[in-house]
Amino acid sequence: MRAGDRRWGGWRQPAAIAVAVAFLLPLWFMVSGSLREPGQPPPRAPEVIPRPLSTTSYERAFDLVDLGRHTVNSLLVAALTVPLAVLVASLAGFALVLVAGRARALLVGLSFAALMIPVTALLVPRFTMFRWLGLTDTWVPLVAPALLGLSPFYVLLFYWSFRRLPPELLEAARLEGMKPFAMWRRVAMPLVRPVTIAIALLAFIASWGNFLEPLIYLFDPDLYTLPLGLRSLETLDRTNYPVLLAGAVAATAPVVLAFAIAQRYFLHEDRGAGWLGR
Amino acid sequence: MSRIELETVRKRFGETAALDGVDLEAREGELLVVVGPSGCGKSTLLRCVAGLEAVDEGAIRIGDREVTRLRPAARNVSMVFQSYALFPHLTVRENIAFGLVVREEPKQVVLERVAEASALVGVGDFLERRPYELSGGERQRVALARALVRRPDAFLLDEPLSNLDAGTRVQMRTELRRLHREIGSTMVHVTHDQVEALTLGDRIAVLDAGRLRQVGTPDEVYSRPRDLFVARFLGTPAMNVLTSEAASPFLQIPEGTVLGVRPEHVRITTDGVPAKVDIVEVAGSDAFVHLDRGLVGRVSADARPAEGAEVGIAFEREATHLFDEATGERVDRP
Repeated sequence: MRAGDRRWGGWRQPAAIAVAVAFLLPLWFMVSGSLREPGQPPPRAPEVIPRPLSTTSYERAFDLVDLGRHTVNSLLVAALTVPLAVLVASLAGFALVLVAGRARALLVGLSFAALMIPVTALLVPRFTMFRWLGLTDTWVPLVAPALLGLSPFYVLLFYWSFRRLPPELLEAARLEGMKPFAMWRRVAMPLVRPVTIAIALLAFIASWGNFLEPLIYLFDPDLYTLPLGLRSLETLDRTNYPVLLAGAVAATAPVVLAFAIAQRYFLHEDRGAGWLGR
Repeated sequence: MSRIELETVRKRFGETAALDGVDLEAREGELLVVVGPSGCGKSTLLRCVAGLEAVDEGAIRIGDREVTRLRPAARNVSMVFQSYALFPHLTVRENIAFGLVVREEPKQVVLERVAEASALVGVGDFLERRPYELSGGERQRVALARALVRRPDAFLLDEPLSNLDAGTRVQMRTELRRLHREIGSTMVHVTHDQVEALTLGDRIAVLDAGRLRQVGTPDEVYSRPRDLFVARFLGTPAMNVLTSEAASPFLQIPEGTVLGVRPEHVRITTDGVPAKVDIVEVAGSDAFVHLDRGLVGRVSADARPAEGAEVGIAFEREATHLFDEATGERVDRP
């Protein structure tokens, strides 16, 4: 153990616990609040476990709004968006690695510039474009950004990951006669799996929590995604906070589940030094 | 197997000439070692032959084919990289088979060739392991097997031994030599290590700042260096170089020339020109004797003088070399 590690060793665990508690407490109060009887006022003091425990708020939330359908809709949109975003962002990132110096610098610069444009600045032109194409009140406007990698940030993340690979690996593949697409599929992508999973998770969270775009593009309640369902819940029973929290738990659970499944792939990289032959 | 020929090859990176009109031939079945200091252009030369870098001018031929503008895969050469460039997500077997699988060779052919290549370099026992589970020497063997399996026209080896520890490097050097003898293919081996070059190559080519200084058998290049750069680059310790004034107590040499004498040709005797021993470095069976006249001698460690001793030094005229003081070119004695 290095001297620095020893110095921090004693503090690391309590600090980690403190940070975890700070982040988990709101989640815990969300869950415990959702297990209160519907219609009860908020507790006067923090309540770790509500008495009596009840799941009625969940039944009420799903009765008031068709949260099941909205969840399925959100899952379908995410199922289309996430793979497409990962596919396009990784291909674009790999293309950036393959193009020659100046063109690459220009493209990376443009990607950065695109990253600086606020999403809200594009809402009106995009809405106008999709309305002109007759695609409002469909999921197409929600999925379409995935055709551009969802965000330049994901393209740049892939680009940086591919840049970290030893160039000789791609050169060896070229010498063996591999074409760029095969190199992307059979050499580059398997070597950046943790990054791919992290980006897929980020794309899933972005799609799942997307409120603004469904709000402006979707009019038919049957097409609503979960964030719009939650808004409906809030509109229908504004003061019934156990019911609102039950809806929030239903909306949060899939993200937590997705992270729990994915984290083992990107937090436990245990192949050690020399994995890339360096 | 095919010969490789470079004809006035030039390659620039911005303002820097990595290769400045290189004419070089690796003969059929020959192990040609390209040696030179870091940044002299030797790896660039190899990458130009492989097609990983496009040449600015000149031509490259492999066998009877002009390959200057061909893509790397169409040149049918295999390359072993300094870092081995093994695919970490594939097993040793998959790594070796990689080129054949990409070329969609029949499965039976792949199996046979992988078995043959892995037996040849001795990696048959760990075919199911992944590269990061292997030692440096084992990775190097796998890289060689991957190069062998495709039966290319020529092999290009880019400092393949430089990442190995000293012991493994010596062992792999011998194995490379044995492998070359067994398969008889044309190999171009790039290194900055002059000992590797002298011991491994059928011929060696000395490169400096993108220019070819000399090509010849190790014996020729060592015994008759074409210029001062080659003379000083090959040999440990480097050749002693004396101006005509400094050389006058030993030999009379023409004006405008300098005298070169290899350390092993500096005789330390009781007679001869007096000198004082400054430092003695013992390197196993040899000792390097640094003398106050700016000379270094190489003697048997058993016969080394003590530091501070007064000795006499001499060297045979036939064992010395003359170089032009201005150009550094070798001057042949009349």
